[in-house]
Amino acid sequence: MTYWLRNNLWRHALIISVCLFSLFPLYLVVISSFNSTGSLRLDSFIPREISFENYKMLFTDPAIPYLTWMKNSLIIAGATAVLSVSIGSASAFAFSRLYFRGRKIGIQMLLLVQMFPAILAISAVYVIMERVYTFAPSIGLGTQAGLLLIYLGGAMGVNIWLLKGFVDSIPKELDEAAKIDGASAVQTYWLIFMPLAAPVLAVVSLLSFIGTFNEFILARLFLVDMETRTVAVGLQQFIGGQYSENWGPFAAGSIIASVPIVIIFLSLQKYIINGLTAGSVKG
Amino acid sequence: MTSFFRGKVSFAFKLAVLLLIGSVLVTLTQSAFAQGEFLIAAFLAITVLLLAITYLTKVSIPLKFFLPGILLLVAFVLSPIIFTVTMSGYNYKTGNIISKAEAIEQIQNRGFESDADGTSFDIKIGRYQMGEAILVSDSINGAYFISTVTNRVPLNPSDLTINEFGVAESAPDFEALADDEFATADETYSGKRFKYQDEFFIALEGFEVGIVSRQVLSYDADKDQFNNIVSGEVYVDNGRGNYAIADNPDLYLEPGWRAPVWFENYTKLFTEERLRGPLISVFTWTVIFASLSVITTFALGLLLALALNKPIRGRRVYRSILILPYAMPSIMSILIWGGMFNTEFGAINNLLGTDIAWFQNALFAKFAIILVNLWLGFPYFYLVSSGALQAIPSELLEAAAIDGANPRQIFRRITLPLLLQILSPLLIASFAFNFNNFNLIYLLTGGGPRAELDGELAGATDILISFTYKIAFGSSVQDLGLASAISLVIFLLIASISLYGLRKSKVLESFQ
Repeated sequence: MTYWLRNNLWRHALIISVCLFSLFPLYLVVISSFNSTGSLRLDSFIPREISFENYKMLFTDPAIPYLTWMKNSLIIAGATAVLSVSIGSASAFAFSRLYFRGRKIGIQMLLLVQMFPAILAISAVYVIMERVYTFAPSIGLGTQAGLLLIYLGGAMGVNIWLLKGFVDSIPKELDEAAKIDGASAVQTYWLIFMPLAAPVLAVVSLLSFIGTFNEFILARLFLVDMETRTVAVGLQQFIGGQYSENWGPFAAGSIIASVPIVIIFLSLQKYIINGLTAGSVKG
Repeated sequence: MTSFFRGKVSFAFKLAVLLLIGSVLVTLTQSAFAQGEFLIAAFLAITVLLLAITYLTKVSIPLKFFLPGILLLVAFVLSPIIFTVTMSGYNYKTGNIISKAEAIEQIQNRGFESDADGTSFDIKIGRYQMGEAILVSDSINGAYFISTVTNRVPLNPSDLTINEFGVAESAPDFEALADDEFATADETYSGKRFKYQDEFFIALEGFEVGIVSRQVLSYDADKDQFNNIVSGEVYVDNGRGNYAIADNPDLYLEPGWRAPVWFENYTKLFTEERLRGPLISVFTWTVIFASLSVITTFALGLLLALALNKPIRGRRVYRSILILPYAMPSIMSILIWGGMFNTEFGAINNLLGTDIAWFQNALFAKFAIILVNLWLGFPYFYLVSSGALQAIPSELLEAAAIDGANPRQIFRRITLPLLLQILSPLLIASFAFNFNNFNLIYLLTGGGPRAELDGELAGATDILISFTYKIAFGSSVQDLGLASAISLVIFLLIASISLYGLRKSKVLESFQ
């Protein structure tokens, strides 16, 4: 018994207290979402009431187009994930497998460009999209298509870098064999690389999806109309003012928006973690 | 399957996609060109050309793979960066946004004043002989006339309809504006100068009053200066984007234009007292914040990894709970924490039974930020530390144990140094990430409490990036030139830190 205490008690004590730390805000959000008073106050650890008022408000209040926000976020993040990984994987393949002049410089430039604080280039992005708006209003400032284009550009660097790490880990012998059999680079890419990389591409798409879903600054700057906003921007507006009354719907909205992501994340954690570290710990 | 890539069908398909994209881009190019956006039009034209060359010929196979990615990067990442770098050499700020030609035009348009008596007339706006005109009633002198930009036509009062205030309502050949035309009238009429006499003209003030004015500022293109015709003052180009009086530089004309000031935005960082003080404090806090964030998240993550590094009951459940903060969308988490720290309604004060105004006190605010960042960041380091612990060969630890080292010694002498070596690139990357952790600061404290440093821009918890954001977008004077200069400094700092980290991790060597 004393042996068990000495060796395991501290582990359990530490882990349980950290678990409480990590659960506390989440628990609070959950009980706030079922609380009709709408504050993040903790009156008791056991909820006194279970009210679906906040959830009902999200779906019925015409002033809160929550479903539209969710739809916008899913479409924008989904499109960014699929498109940026499709485009990025081709580039990553070229950087990893094809030999051409300027390849090393290219990948180093890619890395360097990524280090520029993106927040500060947004004034320039803003000016560019403002000008695009003058001749193509459908993809300029204030449109989701325009925002998507910017996300695609921004996601390129990270995705190419991540995917290149994966492509590097696929045995070279495979595509050398294909080459000997007379396959062109394009065929190698579609017939050899794509099937092998499919799970990896899914994970990078997922990371890209989560990243875009989380993006706030650009979305807030670009999407002015209530109807075009993403869920992150929309929910922030609830509590942006000094009105603590709005915490209830905010909590409910965050939960609905987060649950799918948390579930996906937890079920794919093994792959995601590999993906997160692949770019940096190798060699 | 293979035939798909070589057959005629595939070629036709490729051609169709290319044609579709190409025609969209060509249309865009044309309209960009028509709007005078030549840079964008040129970029689009080059894009079309490159796409055609790459996918219709066999010039370069690698290019087929990364052209789309490169084009997107150039359009939305690289060109904004180049724009920012360029701006850092200009005095690009509120009041100096437009080009010099536009500034000269605007100064001229605004450079008039009313005559000495401040004469004004009641007017009606409308049309005369197809052009914009005003019907002027000089009721004091009982004179009436129609005035256009070029002409003044005297009228006989007996031909007019005059109301009880002595204002002419209508006149022959003068067509007053219909009600629905007023909506767009502002654009066409305000700014127009209607003929009066000599150098005087009538400028509109609203739609019913005209003021007798004359131009006082005249532009001398040969000498590139503005002359005040009345007072004789001369405004010369001060080389910094404004026309100013030579011996009194504080008297300058609005608006100015964006003028190259070369490295002034950079030297300002060191020489201008008003900027240097806050900058030093902000920089210090940025480094402290980033370091503390890395240290706390790494320490807690490692501790957990060690605690869970052996079979223990409930390990899987623990693990899932511990990474929950990492799985939550961080935007939501930060906002939730912000609510929890609320003085009156927040759960933290509630739980502690205190009444602390967390974000009003610099020290408390800083503590809150580090705590929130710990919550957000420890799962990541728990995960990577667990991975790294597995990677340490167990022979090493066994050998040390045989040599008589106690567990603490083994940890300090073997496990920790090895871990640090494995994880140093990630620690450096995390430092770089937190150095620019804009979302956390912006959404949690907004950089506040303010008035701690200079009361104006920098708050006590502002880090460099959020401070720069405020310089660029936050205050009444938006100084994009200065913000761009600071961005570049941040970029150099982060790039050198990260390159150091990469060199350590030897990632770059794999390209050799």
